[in-house]
Amino acid sequence: MQGLPSLPVVVRLLLSGKERKDKDTHSNKNKYYEGLNRNRSNEEHSNEDNKDDKPLANLLIVDDDPDIAQVLEQGFLKNSFLVSTFTNPEEALKNFQSNSEDYCLMLSDIRMPGISGIKLARKVKEINPKVKVILMTSFEIKDNEFSKVFPSTQVDGFVQKPIQIKDLTNKILDIIGESKRRVYQ
Amino acid sequence: MRMTSAGSHRIESVMQWFEDGMEEGENGILVYPNMQTFREIYMQYAKDQLVAREEQKENEDNNNDDYHDNNNRHKEQLLMPRIILIATFYDTVNAVKHNLSAVGVDVQSHIDDGSLLIVDAYDGYYPNINGMKMLVKSLSDRARKEGRIGVSVISNMGFFFLYDGDGDASELISYETSLPSKTDGGNVRGLSCYHTRDYENLDDSQKKELDTQGQKKSLEVTESAAYVAFDA
Repeated sequence: MQGLPSLPVVVRLLLSGKERKDKDTHSNKNKYYEGLNRNRSNEEHSNEDNKDDKPLANLLIVDDDPDIAQVLEQGFLKNSFLVSTFTNPEEALKNFQSNSEDYCLMLSDIRMPGISGIKLARKVKEINPKVKVILMTSFEIKDNEFSKVFPSTQVDGFVQKPIQIKDLTNKILDIIGESKRRVYQ
Repeated sequence: MRMTSAGSHRIESVMQWFEDGMEEGENGILVYPNMQTFREIYMQYAKDQLVAREEQKENEDNNNDDYHDNNNRHKEQLLMPRIILIATFYDTVNAVKHNLSAVGVDVQSHIDDGSLLIVDAYDGYYPNINGMKMLVKSLSDRARKEGRIGVSVISNMGFFFLYDGDGDASELISYETSLPSKTDGGNVRGLSCYHTRDYENLDDSQKKELDTQGQKKSLEVTESAAYVAFDA
């Protein structure tokens, strides 16, 4: 199996700026498509089989730690996901309310001020039950921590930080049913 | 009372409010605008209480041998600083330790000598909501036994916003109102710290209930590097 191709450099540069946080990331999405289209147009005749640049899935990433959010965003972009990243869960929810059909999975930190990941998961599932949710935390995952909210909140997976992008990617692919594609690097 | 301050004096002003504005036995409320500000507050406080005190003690040991003989009480206080309890919620315990080390606090040595405790606030409030109170009570008793000045508690209240549904802050209000604004003869200075995004989830009546109808001293640190204090 071959590794997944990375995104065009121009796209990654467009998405890597510090000022991206807490902004409407739909502009990012459009740039992603523009980048992909530009890439396709340039390489159409030289690489007929290059269909791997189709995004695997559209992810909503929410983490109040800007460094973690950035690492996740860049890691998933590199692995051909389409991502919208937020450090403010309220902004993330607003975005999701307007674009819930665009997303297939939300990856969110649990302990965030304003709206916790647990509350956010609940709201996301209320808006669009089809969207998968993975919650992540830097804290030890204790059974009793979630017994208080389940089964009232349906979450599709938990991960403990730090986690490698490739492991997280494989978990996401498992959950969204794209398990044929694995990331090995 | 309303005060404003700005710029690099912001954290110093908060320290002054906590140190001079709040008496032993008082519980107050602090609203901070972002995590960086909260970190700066507990870092500066621990540094002032632990590092500066240590330096002061060393200087006095070196410069004035007679000083301690004539100021036994002062000496005792220098030898036995307050117990500082930091209950973190949005940062891990290790992150808090790392932050304190970065400003020169010898974290492990202060933990070992009982002057510093860093706990995950989650464990203090769950499964027993009164777990934190029991911990503080035990620290207060220990401070008295050891001849310490008292206990300072900097507790992040983010836990109470983890599960609650929209507008349901009953558990928080019940807990906060159970903390008296002032305990006569008390040796604990307690600070309930709220991220402004959590605090803004409360409506006006809930905010009033939180500070027991204005009886508690409260301080709101704003994003614009200025703060406003509403003292009871």
